[in-house]
Amino acid sequence: MTLHLKMDDRDDRYRLDDMVQGLVGTPTDRPEGKLKVSGKASYAMDVLPDDVCHGVLVRATITHGKLRDLDTEAVRALPGIRTVITGKRMLRNPAQGMAGKAPVQGSDDIAYFGQPVALVVADTLEQARHGALALRLTLEAKGDAVVNPHDPDASVEMPKKEQVLIGDLDEAMKKAAFSVDQHYTTPGHSSAAMEPHASVAHWHGDSVTLRGSYQMLAYNKAELADALGISEKNVRILAPYVGGGFGAKLGISPEAVAAALASKELGVPVAVSMTRQQVFETTMRRSETNQRIRLAADENGLLTGIGHEALVSNLPGEDFSEPVTQATPFLYRGENREIVHKIARIHRTCAGSVRAPGEAVGLTVLEIAMDELAEKAGIDPVELRKKNIPDQDPTDQIPFSSHALAEALDEGARRFGWDKRNPKPRSTRDGEWFVGMGMASAVRVNMLIESKARVTLSADGRAMIETDMTDIGTGTYAILGQIAGEMLGLPMEDVETRLGDTEFPPASGSGGSFGAASNGTAVLLGCEEIRRQLCKKLNCEDADMTLKGGYAIVGNKRIALRDVLDGDTLVGEGHVQPGKAEKKVRQATYGSYFAEVGVNSVTGETRLRRMLGVFAAGRILNAKTARSQCLGGMTFGIGMALTEELIHDRRDGHMVNHDFAEYHLPVNADVPQIEVVLLEERDEWANPLQAKGIGELGICGAAGSIVNAIYNACGVRVRQLPATLDKVIDGLDEAT
Amino acid sequence: MVEVRSHIRFLLNGDDITLSDVKPDETLLDYLRLRRSLRGSKEGCAEGDCGACTVLVGRLSGGGLVYESVNGCIRFLASLEGCHVVTVEHLNGQGDSLHPVQQAMVDFHGSQCGFCTPGFVMSLYSLWMRTPEPSDAAIEKALQGNLCRCTGYEAIIRAARAISSYGKSANDPLALERAAITARLSALRDGARVEIGSGKERLVIPADVDDLADILVTSPNATIVSGSTDVGLWVTKFMRDIAPAVFIGNLEGLRIISETDGVLSIGAGVSYTEAHAVLSRHVPALGALIDRIGGEQVRNMGTIGGNIANGSPIGDTPPPLIALGASVTLRKGGERRTLDLEDFFIAYGKQDRAPGEFVEAVHVPLPGAEVKFAAYKVTKRRDEDITSTLGAFRLELAHDGTVAAIRIAYGGMAATPKRARAVEAALLGKPWTEETVEAALAAYAEDFTPLTDMRASAEYRALAGRNLLLRFFAETTGFAGPLTISRYKAA
Repeated sequence: MTLHLKMDDRDDRYRLDDMVQGLVGTPTDRPEGKLKVSGKASYAMDVLPDDVCHGVLVRATITHGKLRDLDTEAVRALPGIRTVITGKRMLRNPAQGMAGKAPVQGSDDIAYFGQPVALVVADTLEQARHGALALRLTLEAKGDAVVNPHDPDASVEMPKKEQVLIGDLDEAMKKAAFSVDQHYTTPGHSSAAMEPHASVAHWHGDSVTLRGSYQMLAYNKAELADALGISEKNVRILAPYVGGGFGAKLGISPEAVAAALASKELGVPVAVSMTRQQVFETTMRRSETNQRIRLAADENGLLTGIGHEALVSNLPGEDFSEPVTQATPFLYRGENREIVHKIARIHRTCAGSVRAPGEAVGLTVLEIAMDELAEKAGIDPVELRKKNIPDQDPTDQIPFSSHALAEALDEGARRFGWDKRNPKPRSTRDGEWFVGMGMASAVRVNMLIESKARVTLSADGRAMIETDMTDIGTGTYAILGQIAGEMLGLPMEDVETRLGDTEFPPASGSGGSFGAASNGTAVLLGCEEIRRQLCKKLNCEDADMTLKGGYAIVGNKRIALRDVLDGDTLVGEGHVQPGKAEKKVRQATYGSYFAEVGVNSVTGETRLRRMLGVFAAGRILNAKTARSQCLGGMTFGIGMALTEELIHDRRDGHMVNHDFAEYHLPVNADVPQIEVVLLEERDEWANPLQAKGIGELGICGAAGSIVNAIYNACGVRVRQLPATLDKVIDGLDEAT
Repeated sequence: MVEVRSHIRFLLNGDDITLSDVKPDETLLDYLRLRRSLRGSKEGCAEGDCGACTVLVGRLSGGGLVYESVNGCIRFLASLEGCHVVTVEHLNGQGDSLHPVQQAMVDFHGSQCGFCTPGFVMSLYSLWMRTPEPSDAAIEKALQGNLCRCTGYEAIIRAARAISSYGKSANDPLALERAAITARLSALRDGARVEIGSGKERLVIPADVDDLADILVTSPNATIVSGSTDVGLWVTKFMRDIAPAVFIGNLEGLRIISETDGVLSIGAGVSYTEAHAVLSRHVPALGALIDRIGGEQVRNMGTIGGNIANGSPIGDTPPPLIALGASVTLRKGGERRTLDLEDFFIAYGKQDRAPGEFVEAVHVPLPGAEVKFAAYKVTKRRDEDITSTLGAFRLELAHDGTVAAIRIAYGGMAATPKRARAVEAALLGKPWTEETVEAALAAYAEDFTPLTDMRASAEYRALAGRNLLLRFFAETTGFAGPLTISRYKAA
């Protein structure tokens, strides 16, 4: 039986609080940890059938134009080469997250440098590499490829529904006692998950099984089926372990479709793994952004107006555009508001979701501007934010579901020793180093996505969860087990969680911070259904039944679940859908960051010295995995502030730093002691768990606190991220 | 005549391996994953940056057996001749339990997506066997070559601190089997040359240094592969053919470090790690600099000789070695010549090395107590980053406080590692004062016209390059208070 829930209203039953197993909220270890530390967790390329062939992608070396011909015959003659795949079904770029259909297909039309146009398949990987290197392409370049969003020839769209105009911001700026009007830029970013995109495809008759590294299998199944022109029921995707995603693996990507096409033709399994350079160039990038922020405040520092304009880019034909201003409509007060969103169509690698699309870069910039306003108004940055927290969503005029920004700001300031900060830049020296502190607010919209899970309580009293949900390092295996254990009164070791197989009920997938809450709710509902069946067997009401440690307690009776089941196996399926609740209230997660940096007066190098994040995301399901998500998010923020930057050749748009040597993820030495504090909160509008997403909150605005700390340290205001040493040293002179 | 055989021999975990089908460009990681189905080691970047492929390689060194972490992705299979390869699959605890390193990683939540985890486990394993109770600095050094995108590292550091509370490294199988493995590896040393394949698949492993010299005379255009931290990338990134390849990593004769009359001679095959052990005693600033080259795995593989021979303008050892007045010995057949290291670098990509010639050793005059020496590497990212600019300074003052001798060399400022001769001239014989130094700054424009690239702008290099001299001045004069750095914008 399936228990359905459409989230039309708040759920104030607090079901988890009725339970007594004591699992939810605890810092439970991830059950798959042992496999991971032993090298036994099997990622996409770790299970290869004996007769597998290897494919290597061949990519365009022009930016825009046509593939006229491929010299496949010469390559086919090389040793071991089995086939060369090309043609109308090849993907131009990965599907956007939750597209559920194929992206632009066809290898004839080239839209960016590095677009995959063929797959060379051979008996061995070495032969395939050799063949790929030898494959000669006849390419016809169009001379007019626009690769820069600022190019006057770039076609720029302004979708109507993305623009907001409330009141008169120009007038508010004129009347403002204090104002900021500045331009900022953030560069492109790469998710740079550690596991490269990889797929192993294998056909059995009309059906294909694909073992891949993907985040959202239910959508990926539909995307792959559409790309191949077959029915969804003939596609199975397996992804039991995924070596990180951060958005890059939301949609099916070119290697999967190419592997499936090759396997179909050859009748043997075909494995295709992207090289790191291919991952950079042919999966997704976060768009660079050009932003203008206008802030108008009265003499008390109360905001009267906010303007946020963004220019982002993407390939022609792509629906996604980085939602830079996503949180601006509701974060701070102000009667006069203007949101401008522009998309330049350019020929660079496809832009898509990278951890926290929107707030990651949009809030960061807004928080730098807020720091500038605080400086101008002579108001403490924490105070400025607190006094501008609105009573309700000022744009949609709806209440907040829960709102812990003020608490996060106070708690953070107290713990960090914010009162010791000298507001005057360059007032603290430590030898060669200027030392300073900065802070920023955190905010991320909260979402619920349709999700299903099946829970089976076997006659032996053990439970099993099945869903095509993924665990991309987030802790899904642990969290779902905790929820089921809590609801059914079972210790963790008596709950098995099976993920990453589209034969299981379709889940939300991992993305947008919604996985744990959406799929966790489906598990909770499945367990409620099993509880209903147990009550029937025990002839009692749910309120009269306590499940704990494998026993049911009803009245003064304590019966082993095995005995209650008496040889039966109970199955409960949970199904949650978003509903009207998300229109009735504004749901978001909040937090604060505090950072201390040193800026070197000799070299301009910035070193983060310590950092604190305080976050509220509803009920915390697992204290350990939640904290880890925040740490990881803040580390992304360090990269955004100081080192990460995709650099494109200005002539042909190709990605110059397409590897880990030159795209600088933070290394251990870049990451100092980071403290994470999780506030107690429940959000009954979010879902029956009262939990909100936490996977992305830790990056939203984090870089702003570091950039603001740089200003406090040395007086250099960096408005073009990242704050590399050359930009900082350039400003040191003027700042004296 | 040396004996020749046509197979390599090494140990892989517990097994004896003999291979005759080895290609010069076949990597250890591909061999492990594709030919042995040992897939715990992962490919994250194929260029030695991320460390997901980290394995241990044990080798005989001076009669002992040392295990070092290396990047399997850029380590060539042929270079394992006579070595013991240990992969994550070889780690086991007692009975069903995990190995102490693995249990600590689980308990401290050091693994999230888990893809980088086996590499971290192997780096920590190497550390724990060497230093069971490591300082935080030792942990950080051991993990420089491992990237993690999920955790932010903190959990891994905490796991590293705790490993010894889970077990003693003296009881680890690798420690207990040390004598047996040493004996097995010794038995593999038969003094033979290895030759496998022909044409584009030809590789040679010389029997000794003299054999290497002979081989290069007959194959003057062979690719000399030492630590493969650079040549490995020619293959994995640029798909270049490297045949015929001559693997010299096993030549003990190139790994000798000796000191004569205050000059330290370092064999061309000495790794950064081995050099660090000696140099950090004699020239602490150079030891600290070596700590910032790549990660531990790269330093365990890469060699000083290779860093010189490849002639990169941003190699990290040539500038300090030039500042110290080092010379280099080149050998061709039985003939040797020694020249000043600075003269070895002729132009971008061009060194004074004839076909058939190879770098045999570098000789470093050790600075006495009266010498002030410093080397500063400036990078965008703290670790694992290619130099934006690197300045090295060697100063001797006369009794009257004037500059008696000064040598300054930079990397990243020109097409080769280069001395700042005009700046030196402006300082020599003058009193070592702020005025002298300030006045000398103008001479930088004569010495260097740096270029703009991803790593830094020309303006930055010019400015930071000058600032490093100011830093050196401040440090050598014991200036304790806040430094005031005057800035000189490029004109």
